[in-house]
Amino acid sequence: MSRLVVRNLKKKFNSVWALRGFNLTLDPGEIFVLLGPNGAGKTTTLKLITGLLRPTEGEIFIEGTDLRKDPIKAKSHIGYVPDEPFIYNKLTGREFINFVASIYKVSRVDYETRLAGLLKTFDIGEWVDELSESYSHGMKQRVIMCQLLLHNPELILIDEPLVGLDPKTSKTVRELFIKLKEEGKTLFVSTHTLSFAREVATKIGIISQGELKFIGDINELSRISGKKDIEDIYLKLSNANDGVHR
Amino acid sequence: MSDFWLMLQARARMFNASVRSLSAVRTASFVFVIACFVGGAYYVFFRVFGYLTTVEVIGPALLDRVIEMALFVFFIMLLFSNVITSFSTFYNNRELDFLFSLPVPPTSIYLTKLLENCLYASWATLTIAFPLIVAYGITTGAPALYYPLSILSVLIYMVIPAAVASTLIALILRVFPKLGPREVIMISLALILGLTYLYVRINNPNLLKIFETENEQMLLLFAAQLTTVGGIYVPSTWLSNIIKGFNGNTTVTVFNFLLLSFVSASSVTVAFLVAKTCYVRSWLSSGEHTSKESKRRSLLWKPQRQTARAIFLKDLLIFVREPTQWVQLSIFLILLVVYVMSLRRTPIFFTFPLWRTVVAFANFAYISFVLATLGVRFIFPTMSLERAGIWAIVSSPLSFRKILLTKYFFSLTTAVIIIEFLLISANLFIKVERGLYFVMPVIGLFVAAALVSINLGLGSKFPHFSEDNPSRIAAGTGGIIAALISITYVAISILLLATPAYNYLSHTFMARPVNYLLVYAGFALFIAVSICAIFIPLRIGITSLERRDY
Ligand SMILES: Nc1ncnc2c1ncn2[C@@H]1O[C@H](COP(=O)(O)OP(=O)(O)OP(=O)(O)O)[C@@H](O)[C@H]1O
Ligand SMILES: [Mg+2]
Repeated sequence: MSRLVVRNLKKKFNSVWALRGFNLTLDPGEIFVLLGPNGAGKTTTLKLITGLLRPTEGEIFIEGTDLRKDPIKAKSHIGYVPDEPFIYNKLTGREFINFVASIYKVSRVDYETRLAGLLKTFDIGEWVDELSESYSHGMKQRVIMCQLLLHNPELILIDEPLVGLDPKTSKTVRELFIKLKEEGKTLFVSTHTLSFAREVATKIGIISQGELKFIGDINELSRISGKKDIEDIYLKLSNANDGVHR
Repeated sequence: MSDFWLMLQARARMFNASVRSLSAVRTASFVFVIACFVGGAYYVFFRVFGYLTTVEVIGPALLDRVIEMALFVFFIMLLFSNVITSFSTFYNNRELDFLFSLPVPPTSIYLTKLLENCLYASWATLTIAFPLIVAYGITTGAPALYYPLSILSVLIYMVIPAAVASTLIALILRVFPKLGPREVIMISLALILGLTYLYVRINNPNLLKIFETENEQMLLLFAAQLTTVGGIYVPSTWLSNIIKGFNGNTTVTVFNFLLLSFVSASSVTVAFLVAKTCYVRSWLSSGEHTSKESKRRSLLWKPQRQTARAIFLKDLLIFVREPTQWVQLSIFLILLVVYVMSLRRTPIFFTFPLWRTVVAFANFAYISFVLATLGVRFIFPTMSLERAGIWAIVSSPLSFRKILLTKYFFSLTTAVIIIEFLLISANLFIKVERGLYFVMPVIGLFVAAALVSINLGLGSKFPHFSEDNPSRIAAGTGGIIAALISITYVAISILLLATPAYNYLSHTFMARPVNYLLVYAGFALFIAVSICAIFIPLRIGITSLERRDY
């Protein structure tokens, strides 16, 4: 059974189509990286899959469960990191982590064994007990990643994971993604960092003006575009059909 | 100055855009609810004023005292609400970071914010002040010019408390730059309360004697003899003089209008000068006041077994750590306790049991209205306060039904404790008939359940995820709708219960036969209305949360 199946997903905001027919199937152990210019529809796609937006048309199945029919069951398999990391200002990082862990019903044993390791992985120090209103962007993002891995979801959706992270943490994140993939998790990541896509992706999608233009691994994309370097591939493919819609 | 106009225009455009984005149905229902409320308030004032003018000899004087009293109370209320919203408007506000980075002088920012704060803090009072003025005009047969001029005067009047409050807070922050929001608001409120008390004490000590009068006749006589409630030094007296002057004495009106305008303009000038010297510095120092102390061993130190408990603990922690929240709640509660304690003297005024029952009923109505206000202020914003963090909840396997019901349960518990405490202790003080001791708390349960549901449900239907300040969330369009629906519900309930109450009174005290049909019908209708008011808003809230884009 596929982990994520998205069929003909469309989203219209007022009268503007932000997404016009998105199809995708992801299996365990895949890292899908979605690339595209600003306003292409990456965040919209991720939000639709996490249930933050309601699709205008189309279907989403997570572990075989229809997101629309049984959202609770479908959402229990996912973990999401939004593009703007937000945690309740008046909670500390630890309280936020505990709050989310309670919602996902993480068992005491798992909690105790995992938390210490995660805090270490993300280099989260004493500040986890300070109110999050004093955190920087990257600090919040690390707390959110930590919270997400604590409940150990099968499908992980991350919107621009590298924004605001220092070089050391980016490296940790890259290694972590590969480790997660090897554990059989599925990752769906949107980013603007092309080198990151080249290093971790098993599948790359290029979206532009709400349409998935191309999808495949780096070799296929390189063949289609006739370019070698990921930057050239991206520039060629994301502009390929420019002017058709506007 | 031109920067100020530019910023004002930007604001007007934003407001315009947000009005336009409302659907026609929503706008229409909004206008309808407002109209019903203003109409209802007008009707009540009209009847009361009409009644007062018919009271022999002292009637007209009583009417004047009522107006003066109302305007005086409005003034104090406006000062309070301006102080409470000022801190977050002028200092503790994300938008300010952006505004201060613009190449505009801080005084322009200050003036824009002053206007904004004035509107936010005053709208609630205005929805009562307008019908009051119109009802007074109609009752006394005032000339046509009365209406535009009095309304203009009210608008000029509104500016004074806003300017005073912002000056006060700016000065406090200037003198004690290390203070946090909690302390600043507390100090200002204590100052206002203390000064009001002193003022009344010195200027009009007779006013305080009201609490010592022996019976109702004396109370009424006494009230009529009082010369002007507030004394000549408060703006509320000038405003009431403007209004009263229309019945013949034009010079009084003109003089007081000029006085009011002059003081209003001066207060803004003073506020402006104070802002010019210390707004920037106060703003900068208030920004450094985020606490870095760590909070170990808190209520959420460990994950919780039950989701409901986790949601509750999270809300509780956020509430307790947000000073504007609990400071305001404590003020409300203290005022309520003072009010209930003051009922202890009622049996002295009202020796006749019939009157005591009437007072008990009026007390019930009053407490319900207060609970409606509390609900709008504290329960309406709860869903919005999830703010941008709503993503964590929406993307998790947690149904909206569960979230809303959890919040409902905890808000209801609090509301029930408050209303039952007030009702039972008030009834004990009033010494009501035995039967009412038991009936009123049961009615109170329904009222609490309905009011919590209306506010929570509508708060979920019209959430404001981008606003930080709960008072502002409550003062938005959705909050106004919730307030008016709550008040309408309370009014309908009181009307429905009035029939059984009247029957009960005339049976007990005048030995008239009871019309059981009417009594039962009144109760049955009340219960039916309450049940609708409990289930429909919650349903609306859940559905609209499920159907919205985040
Ligand atoms: N809530 C909304 N209301 C109206 N339009 C929206 C909304 N959210 C997104 N859009 C529109 O949908 C389109 C896609 O936006 P989206 O946020 O998905 O882009 P993105 O690919 O994530 O861009 P970026 O790289 O800048 O993050 C844009 O044209 C945007 O204007
Ligand atoms: Mg985006």
